[in-house]
This record gives sequence, C-alpha cells and structure tokens, in this order.
Amino acid sequence: MTSPFPDAAGPVAGADGHAGEDLLASYAAGTPQPVVVWSVEAHLTGCARCRSALSAHVDAERLARNRSVLLVRAALGDGGRGRRLLCRCGVPDHVLRLLAATPSLRRSWLLSVIGVLALVAGEAAAVRPGWIPARGPVGLAPYPGPEVLAPFLLVAPLLVLAGVAAAFLPMFDPACRLAVAAPFSGFTLLLVRAVSALAAALVPVAAAAFLLPGPGWLPVALLLPSLALCAFALAAATLVDPRAAAVMAGILWAVPVLLLAAAHVPLLIVQPNAQFACAAVLCACAVVLLARHDRFELGWMR
Amino acid sequence: MDEMTPNVRTAAVRADGLSRRYGATRALDEVDLTLERGITGLLGPNGAGKTTLLSILATVNEPDAGRVSVFGLDPREAAERVEIRRRLGYLPQELGYHRHFTVAGFVDYVAILKEITDRRRRAEEVARVLAAIGLEARARTRIRALSGGMRQRLGIAQALLGHPELLILDEPTAGLDPEQRLRFRELLSGLPGDPVVVLSTHQADDIAAICPQVIVLLQGRVRFAGTPSELAATAAGRVWAADQRDDRAHLSWRGGDNRWRHIGDYPPTGAEPVTPTVEDGYLLLSHAAGAR
Repeated sequence: MTSPFPDAAGPVAGADGHAGEDLLASYAAGTPQPVVVWSVEAHLTGCARCRSALSAHVDAERLARNRSVLLVRAALGDGGRGRRLLCRCGVPDHVLRLLAATPSLRRSWLLSVIGVLALVAGEAAAVRPGWIPARGPVGLAPYPGPEVLAPFLLVAPLLVLAGVAAAFLPMFDPACRLAVAAPFSGFTLLLVRAVSALAAALVPVAAAAFLLPGPGWLPVALLLPSLALCAFALAAATLVDPRAAAVMAGILWAVPVLLLAAAHVPLLIVQPNAQFACAAVLCACAVVLLARHDRFELGWMR
Repeated sequence: MDEMTPNVRTAAVRADGLSRRYGATRALDEVDLTLERGITGLLGPNGAGKTTLLSILATVNEPDAGRVSVFGLDPREAAERVEIRRRLGYLPQELGYHRHFTVAGFVDYVAILKEITDRRRRAEEVARVLAAIGLEARARTRIRALSGGMRQRLGIAQALLGHPELLILDEPTAGLDPEQRLRFRELLSGLPGDPVVVLSTHQADDIAAICPQVIVLLQGRVRFAGTPSELAATAAGRVWAADQRDDRAHLSWRGGDNRWRHIGDYPPTGAEPVTPTVEDGYLLLSHAAGAR
C-alpha cells in the first residue's frame, strides 16, 4: 500500500497505511516537516486507531503547559480596538498594559471628568441665551462676559491635575508596593502614567473650552497652565508628601483664579503674562524633576 | 582567621545593625542577621518588626541605621538596587490588588514590572506561575470575585515570576486552608535553583515543616537564630503535660487530648515531661522577652 505520508516512507509510516509509532512519536514531539504534520493531521481526523495510538506519545506535562499558556492568552486578550490602534501607532504592548492600572484612564473616571466639565461649561453656555442671569458687567459679543468663564477656568486645570495625581499617588495604586520592589524604573512608570493621564484629561477639557461661549484661543491657553500645575505637583512630590504636593498645586491655581474672578478679570489667568509665568514654572519643575527623579525609584514608603 | 569569616563571605543576604523607627515606636533595634540559600522562617508576634525587616530586605523601605547586602549588592546604590530587584520575588503582607484586573491580567502586569516585556515569554511565565499555584483555571476571573485564600495564592504566584533568587514572603500562609498550606509547602520545597527564601509566619508548624533555619524576632530584636530543632531544644526540660492547670507555669493551655500543656520552670504536681516542639521553644522565648 502507498504511504499517505510524504517524506515518511519506510519504518516511519506504518505498512498498513496507518501512521507508524516512530511517526506518531515525532509528530507528538513536533519535529517533522510541516507537510508531514499536515498529512498526519489529515489522517488523524478520520482514524480513531491512530488517534488512540498518538495519546501514548503525548507529553502530558507539555500538553498541560500549553493548555495553561492558551488559557492565559485567552484571558489577556488583545485589549480591544483602542489598544490595537495604539499598538499599530508604535506604542509597545507592555506599556499599554501598564496603563491598565492607571485609575484616571478608566471609563468611570473619564465619565466623571466629562460630567463635571459639562456642568460648569453648561452653566456658562446657559448665560448666553439668558437662561441664567449673568453676574457682573456683561461684555461684548460673541460671549456674554468673562465672569461666566470663572468656574470653568477654576475647574478645568484642576481636573487635569486630579487625573495626573491619581496616576502617581500611591493611595490610588493598591499594588504600589510591588511596583516599588520591581526593577522597572519608577520614574519611567510615573512618566508613562502621568503623560497618558494628562492627555486623556486634556481632550475633554479642550473640547469643553471649544464649545464654551468664550474667546477662541481658550482651548490652547489652558494647555500651559495645566502642564505647569502637573509638573509642579510631580516636582513637589520629590520634596514633600505626594498628597501634599498635589494639594499645593491645586491651591496654587485656585487662589489666583478666585482672586481674579472676584476682580471681574478671570481671563487674566490664561493671558500672556500668566502664560509666561506658567512656562517659567514648567521649566523650573522640569529641572527639579530631572535632578531628583531618584526619589521615584526609592518608593514612597519611607 | 576568625572562624566566622567564611560564613560572612558566603552569606547571600546580610544585615548589620538595622534600626527603624516609626515615630516613638522602635520597629527594629540593631538587627544583625545572615540568610543562606534555602528556606529561612521568620517567627514573631504581631508588632515584632517582621514586616519592617522584610520590606527593608525587599528594598521597599530604608533603615534609619545599619546596612543590608543582598548577593553582595548594596541597595543604597541605585544601579545595585535595581539589580537586587531583578533577582527578587516579594509578597508584601498586605498586598493590594487592582480589583478590576483578571487573575492573568494582574500577574501579567507584575511580569511587566519585572521587565518581562516580550509578549510570548510573558504569557508562558504567567501560565507557569498560575499553574504552580493551581490558579490556571481562574485565569479569566476578575480579582474582585476571588476568595481571600485565592487572592493570597495569586500573591504567591506573582512573587514566583522570573525564578527569583531571593524570595521574600510576608505571611504567605495567612488565609490558606490546610490543603493549600500543604501544597504551598511542597511548592517552596521544590523550587528550582536553590533560591534564598525567607518567609514570616505565626505558624510554628510551617517553620517546623519546611524551614531548615529559623529566626525569632521579638520587640524588634533577633532573639534566636538556628535550626527548628535547636529552637525546640531551648524548651527542653521545661514542658510538661498534666491533668490540672498550674498557676506557676509561664504558659498553660489545654490540648486536643484534654490534658494541660505547661511551659515553666517547675513541673506541676503529677505532671510528666514531654518532648518540646518548635512552638514551645518560641513561646518560651516570647515569654522571656516579655518579662524583660
């Protein structure tokens, strides 16, 4: 009888048209050429005798190991469309997996941010048609008056700051002790989380600023203050308790915004002089961060 | 040459004069110890300083005074600290979990922190540790749906990632049922590569079962370092069994056979001496430290 197994003539293929013991053993070990493997598999599909004979050659330990790996791969999945897209853009898969532990990137957090922004932006927008009476002197068109922007100017950078703070404060990372005891750079982990949290928060903030009845440059003008606040919080965290650092950054923004709002000039906080001040703070904080980044490698437990 | 010198040179982990305070509380008070390859049990009551000591050895915490050397590396140096962490597996006493993670997702996350970035290798490694601890069938289960014992096993699994040379386990058997504890002992005893394993526990029988070396930490100080049989021997001639309670004994408790077991300096009336256990030795040390 002609052997159905190419390149497996002689003692390897069984004389009776079935797979021989040697062939089954090599198939179980995964050593034959692909064309032989396909032939064996085609034969096994319709031959109960060979399937039964194959089970004697299977390495049960290897099989169990492969099963575990398959279970793990199925459990890990590919992370959905968002992760696939970012992977295609060149972001390493393991970096994206690290971000899964960042609370400010979770849907519930982002929805909360959008909710708060909708509230303050909605209030400002409602002034224009007169649904809510404007306070203080009303300016010229196209927006009713800068005062209506004060709540938004106060809240928007603070929301960005909160997102970044949640990305690096140990109180938001239940497994922070493992991160500290691991060789992966704490500073890199911090930067990856902080930058992604910053980006995730800036998108709804910019969108809300764009929709507000305010000056057209407002979405861009919020960028530098937000960056400066986050950089201040991170830099201060190398010197004081990280929670205190985040609170200090919040106060640093809230006090001048409230004072300027009380003086009916809230937009001064995002106009050129303030932008220069924010740029200076950002540069100074970047220097402090670079100089003291070792503190993030030590952990927070001291 | 000093007889101790060769031992000092070969010690895998060494601590000299470690001290650590939390406010007015002295958690560690000039602790000296050496750890060799193999399993060392760290025994002590709550507040003895076990967790502080282990967190310092794991480079998570820093001592106020004293030095640590792990495989000849100094954790105060940034590069050497990272090298220690590459060779470390650590189970903290209160390991927090991202509750929305799946079992596999959490171990995968820790594997990335341990610099296992290749996707295929990571999946194999995650599968290996989950299989070792019997959680592979739960790979897709969310952590919030796990029982306390399963979470503890998950903590042990992540510590085994990357075949660590130094495995620090802070109360690993807490929350495990008797069968899981037996499986855990078997797992530790069969670890390949002869790593340095140090585990803290309240369970003297865990120590007696798997630890060739035992250290007793009381009130922030090392009160005993030796073998379990040497610890048991410290109570030789001071443990008795009797039908009645005896108030002169340092410690007395009723056993499963309904007889009273006494540890003390004098035999109670009608008592008979019994062979001391590791627990007897530990309780006697603990009592002596408390009396000081």
